[in-house]
Amino acid sequence: MVSRSLKHLFYTVAAAVGLVLALSALVLLAKTSNNSAELDRLSQLTLVINGVGIAILAGMLLGNIFRLIGDLRRQVPGARLKGRMVAAFVALALLPLSVVYYFSLQFINRGIDTWFSVQVEQGLDDALELSRAAMDIQIRNGLRRTQAMGRRIERQQESRLLQTLTEEREASGALEVVLFSGRSRIVALSSERSVNSVPVLPTDEVMLQVRAGRPFVSLDPLDNDQYEVRTVIPLSQPATRDLRVLRAVYPVTQRLSGIVSNVRQSYADYSKLKLLRKPLKSTFTLSLTIVLLVSALAAVYGAFFFSRRLVAPIQQLVAGTEAVAKGNLETELAPPPRDEIGVLVSSFNDMTRRLRAARDEAQRTRGAVEAERANLETILARLSTGVIALTPDLEIRTANAAAADILGVDIDQRRGEPLKSVAEGELLLGQLVDIANAHFSAGETEWREQIMLREAAGRRVLTCACTELTTDRVALAGFVIVFDDITTLLEAQRDAAWGEVARRLAHEIKNPLTPIQLSAERLRRKYLSQLPPEDAQMLDRATHTIVQQVEAMKEMVNAFSDYARAPELQISRFSLQRLAAEVEELYRAEAPHIGIALESDPDLPPIEADNGRVRQMLHNLLRNAVEALAGSERGHIDVQLAATERYGHPMVEIVVTDDGPGFQTASMHQVFDPYVTSKPKGTGLGLAIVRKLVEEHAGTISARNRPEGGAQVHIVLPLNEHAREAMLTRTQRRTESQRAHS
Amino acid sequence: MNRLLVTICVCLFATVAISPAWSDEGVIEIRSAESELVDGVHLAMARLQYQLSERIEQALAGGIALEFVMEFEIDRVRRWWLDGNVDTVRVSYELRFDSVSERYTLRNTNTGQRTTYATIFGALNALGRVDRLPLIDDTLLSEDGRYRVSMRASVTISEYPVSLRYLLFWRNDWRASSNRVTWSLDR
Repeated sequence: MVSRSLKHLFYTVAAAVGLVLALSALVLLAKTSNNSAELDRLSQLTLVINGVGIAILAGMLLGNIFRLIGDLRRQVPGARLKGRMVAAFVALALLPLSVVYYFSLQFINRGIDTWFSVQVEQGLDDALELSRAAMDIQIRNGLRRTQAMGRRIERQQESRLLQTLTEEREASGALEVVLFSGRSRIVALSSERSVNSVPVLPTDEVMLQVRAGRPFVSLDPLDNDQYEVRTVIPLSQPATRDLRVLRAVYPVTQRLSGIVSNVRQSYADYSKLKLLRKPLKSTFTLSLTIVLLVSALAAVYGAFFFSRRLVAPIQQLVAGTEAVAKGNLETELAPPPRDEIGVLVSSFNDMTRRLRAARDEAQRTRGAVEAERANLETILARLSTGVIALTPDLEIRTANAAAADILGVDIDQRRGEPLKSVAEGELLLGQLVDIANAHFSAGETEWREQIMLREAAGRRVLTCACTELTTDRVALAGFVIVFDDITTLLEAQRDAAWGEVARRLAHEIKNPLTPIQLSAERLRRKYLSQLPPEDAQMLDRATHTIVQQVEAMKEMVNAFSDYARAPELQISRFSLQRLAAEVEELYRAEAPHIGIALESDPDLPPIEADNGRVRQMLHNLLRNAVEALAGSERGHIDVQLAATERYGHPMVEIVVTDDGPGFQTASMHQVFDPYVTSKPKGTGLGLAIVRKLVEEHAGTISARNRPEGGAQVHIVLPLNEHAREAMLTRTQRRTESQRAHS
Repeated sequence: MNRLLVTICVCLFATVAISPAWSDEGVIEIRSAESELVDGVHLAMARLQYQLSERIEQALAGGIALEFVMEFEIDRVRRWWLDGNVDTVRVSYELRFDSVSERYTLRNTNTGQRTTYATIFGALNALGRVDRLPLIDDTLLSEDGRYRVSMRASVTISEYPVSLRYLLFWRNDWRASSNRVTWSLDR
C-alpha cells in the first residue's frame, strides 16, 4: 500500500515537473525571441529544460518497460496480456507516426528546396554585377573630376583656396569638398550639407593609401538606401609644404541608388534564405523529430497506461483466483468499474462469498462430526466393553481402550492392518479371531456368543457379539465386534454362591455338632466305667473318634464361616518386607527341609492395608506352597516383593513361586474356587480365601504353572488408600457394566 | 526506482551531449579591460578580439547585418548580501557588408555614427578598441561603497525574423559571446 502511494506521488510530481518545465520553456522562448542577448543567455537553459522533460518521459517509459520485462520474467499473472496489449498499442501508434514522419520530412526538404533556383541565383548575381558596373562608372567619374579639381587647386594660391574649392564643388556637382593636411586636419572646406553636419575625418586606412601616393575611392551606402561616391587624392606639393589631401564626395542619382539598393536588398534576402537553407531543413527535421518523438513516447506511455488500466482488474482476478485456489477464501477484489470486467469482478466476489459460506458451513459440520466422533471416542474409551470396528476386508478400523485392556493388545495402534495379522502371537486375540473367522467363514455376519478364552493364568469368559455396519450409501461398511469380560462377574456370582453355601453349611452343620459332641461325651462318661473292658475300650475309641471328628468338622465349619464372613478392613500403614520376613521365619522353622527365600525391593515404601488379612494372605500362600512340597525332600519357595504401577496408581507386587508339582492342568481355571485342591489334606479354601482377601483390597491375583516346573501365584495390591479406592471404583464400574450387559 | 533515476540521468546527459547547440564556434575574447576616473567620470578602456564563426561570416558576406553588443554592468559589492546592480551601459554596433560597394559599414546604433571599411579585419579591429567610454558619473556612487564592473560582448545575426528565432533557438552558431570579465572600479 505504501509502495503504491509512493508510486502515485512520484508520477504526480513527475507530471507536475514536466508541466512546469514545458510552461517554463514557452515563457523563456517568448522572452528570448525579442531579445537576442537574453536568448543567448537562456537558450541553453531552455534546451536543458526540454531535455529534462523528454528525459523524464523517456525515463518513465523505460521504467515501465523494465517493469514489464521483470513481470514477464517472473511470470506475473497478466504480464503476457499486458505485453501483447502494449505491443499492439505501440504498433498502432508508431505505424501512422512513422508514415507521417517520412512524408513530412520529404515535404519539408522538397518545400524548402523549391525556394531556391539556379536561374534566380544567377539573375541576382548578374544584377549585382550590373549594379557594381554602374556604380564603377560613377566612381570613375568622381575620381576623374576630383583629380581635375586637384590639379586646379594645386595651382591656386592659399588665399583663394576656399573660393576655388566652392567653385570647383559647384562645377563638379560634388556634395562636399574638403582639403586636409597630412595630419588629417581640415585646411579648407566647401559643402552643400547643413552647417550642423561635421565632416568625418579620413580614416587611417584612407590616409595610409593616400600617403602612398594612390588615390582612394569608395562607394558608401547611406541609411536611406542612397549611395555617395567618396574620392580622396593626394595633392602634389612644393618641397616646402606638407602633404595635402583632397576629398570630394559625389552623390549618386536617386534613381540609380534606388535600383542598386533594391538589387542589394534582394541579394541580401536571397543570401539570407540561402544561408538558412540547411539550418532550416535540420531545424524542421529536428522539430518534427522532437514532436513525433514526444508523440511516440506519449503514445507508448499511453499504451502502458491503458494496458495497465485494462490489465489491472484481470491481474486482480488472476491473483484472486490463485489465492482462492490456494485456499484463501477471504480474497475480496476492489470495487469494480462499470464494465464487463466489473461484472466479472462482482461475480468473482460473489463466488468467494458463497465459497466462504460453504466452507464455514462445512467447517461447522465437520466440527459437529468431530465433536460427535470425540464424544463417541470418549464413550468408547470409558466403556468397559471392548469394541473393535473392522472394514469389510476385516482390517482394523478402530478399537477402544477396553478392547486392549481385555485382550492385552493395543489394537487401535495398528489401524489399517488385517485383524488376522494383528492376532498373530496374541493368545487371547488369536482365540477371539479364530471364533470370529469361523462365523465369517460360515457366512454369519451377525452373531452373539459367550466364549471362554484360555490364558496362562487361567481363563477369561467373554460375551461377544458381531454386527454389520451399514450406511445410506454403502451396503456393507464393515463390522463391529463388541465383547465384554464377564470373568469377574462370574467369579463374583460364584463367590456369592459359595459364600451362601458356606454360611448355610456353617449354620446347618455347626448347630448339631455341639449336641453330638456333648452326647458322645455323656455316653462315654456314663457307660465307660459300667461296661466290660472290651466294650469299654470300644466305646472309648468310638466316642473319641466322634469327638475328634466333630472337632474336625467344627474346624471345617469355622473355616467356611471365616470364608463367608467379610468384616470391615482395618487399614494401617506397615512394612510389607517386615511382615513377609516374620511369616517366612515361622515356616522356615516349621519346614526346615524347604529353602524359603525372600527378595524385596529395598525402596519399597510402606503399604496401607489390613495388616491381619495381608498376614493371612502370606500364611495361606506359604502354607499352600509348603503343602505342595510336602512329598519332596528338598524344595524351594521364593517370595518376591516389588513396587509396580497399574493404570497410573502405585501398587505392590507379591510373587510366590515354588518348584513343586504345580496346579493340575484340568483344574487350572478353578484354582481359586473353594473346595478345589490337589492335596489330600487340603480344605480347598486356602487360595480361595487369598483371592477373597486380595479382592477386598481391590487387588488382582493370578496363578500359573511355570514352564520349568512348579506353581506361581502373582498378587498385585494397591500401595495406598488412594490407589485402593481408585482400583475399587474401577472394578465396581466394570462389574456394574458387565451386569448391565448381562 | 533507482534504475529509473539512473535511466533519467543517462537520458538527460545524452540529450545534453548530443545537442548541437552546445558547441559555440565563434570566439570573442576580451583581452584587457579597465576603467579610470577622469574629471569625475569613470571611463572604460578595453581591447577585444573577434573571431567570427564561419556561419556568421557567411551571413555577413550575404549582406545580413550583425549586431555587436558590449555590456558593462556596474554592481555594488555587498558583503552580506547579493551584489546590487547600480547601472548597465549597453553599447551596440551594427556591421553590414554592402555587396554592391563591397565595403563594410559599421554603425553605432547608440549615436548613429557610421564608418566604412574595405575589409572585415578593419571593421573588427575598430570594434575591438574601446577607448574612453563613459561608464558612470562618480557622484552617483556612494563614497564608502565598493563597486565592480563586469563586461561582456556578444555578436548576433540580428536579422532573422521572430518565427525563425523560435525554430533556430537550438542552434548556437549564429551568435557568439565572450566570457564575463570583471574588475573593481578604482576611485
